[in-house]
Amino acid sequence: MLIITCPFCGPRDEVEFACGGEAHIARPLADNKISDADFADYLFMRDNPKGLFLERWRHSAGCRRWFNVARDTVSNEIVEIYPMGSLPAKTAAKTTYKTSWRRDTAAEKAATPSRSKAGGSK
Amino acid sequence: MANSSSSRPDFSGQTALAGIASSTSANPDGGTIGLVFGEMAHLGKLNLRGQNGLAKAVKAITGCTFPPKANRFQSAGERHVIWLAPDEYLLLCEAGKEQELQDSLNSMITSSHFAITDVSDSLCALSLRGPSVRAVLAKGCGLDLHPDQFTAGQSAQSLLALSAVTLMAVADDAFILICRTSFAPYVQRWLADAALEYGYQYKA
Repeated sequence: MLIITCPFCGPRDEVEFACGGEAHIARPLADNKISDADFADYLFMRDNPKGLFLERWRHSAGCRRWFNVARDTVSNEIVEIYPMGSLPAKTAAKTTYKTSWRRDTAAEKAATPSRSKAGGSK
Repeated sequence: MANSSSSRPDFSGQTALAGIASSTSANPDGGTIGLVFGEMAHLGKLNLRGQNGLAKAVKAITGCTFPPKANRFQSAGERHVIWLAPDEYLLLCEAGKEQELQDSLNSMITSSHFAITDVSDSLCALSLRGPSVRAVLAKGCGLDLHPDQFTAGQSAQSLLALSAVTLMAVADDAFILICRTSFAPYVQRWLADAALEYGYQYKA
């Protein structure tokens, strides 16, 4: 069994946690028109790597708060635990984030407001 | 017709463990009783959401230091404030006082970003004491319950025999256990079974 260090409660057994799957999947904005095929990347496609993987976890039997975990799917080693809404800081986890196929998808590019419409500012 | 008020069961004033024999005990080997436990019937429970904006009012009204540190609780007499999460706390108070406390907290808190919810009937509190209380709990809980590790004043939300519970160490040999009302009969029976080898006494 894994011992996972909840950022709020400290080290606890894996049974107290629920895994929420892949982290850092940004929802395309309604303003940005993309094709159904591109939207499917956001909605259905999930990574299943052998090696380092960035996941969301929730301490469901404890404080019930979400956080991110960079976990090696081969050795189960937890490389980094970092808050929701932020990016990993460790080099290996950073590389995993940057090299993910998802960074190049039209769905992810459509998740930030398009410049032409951004409220008058340049 | 089927739902006429006269045929509707009356649950008012009923406790979580009302369906269980009010007093049971077993002590097969004789000697000291390992676990004495019972329901803290109708104990008032308020769920507090918010941050430092709550501090002044909670301190003034309950007398407890606020906020408690992570995995700890603060007490003043019969009132306890338990840390549940970075912005969530559970307040325990004397039976029947929860409405009064909720009203005075609501009127005293100036912050606009908070919520106080009465969860008295949603949760069931059991008081557990006796020389074997830690041994009994350790049978169904993954936490390190050694008296050096889980000291008086500490609390934790975890699983006890697969049911979600909040444990509070009141003293070396005394705990308060809080579980869902719907799980209360299961937890009571599990505790009685786990404590059988040490001898137990249950009194509602």
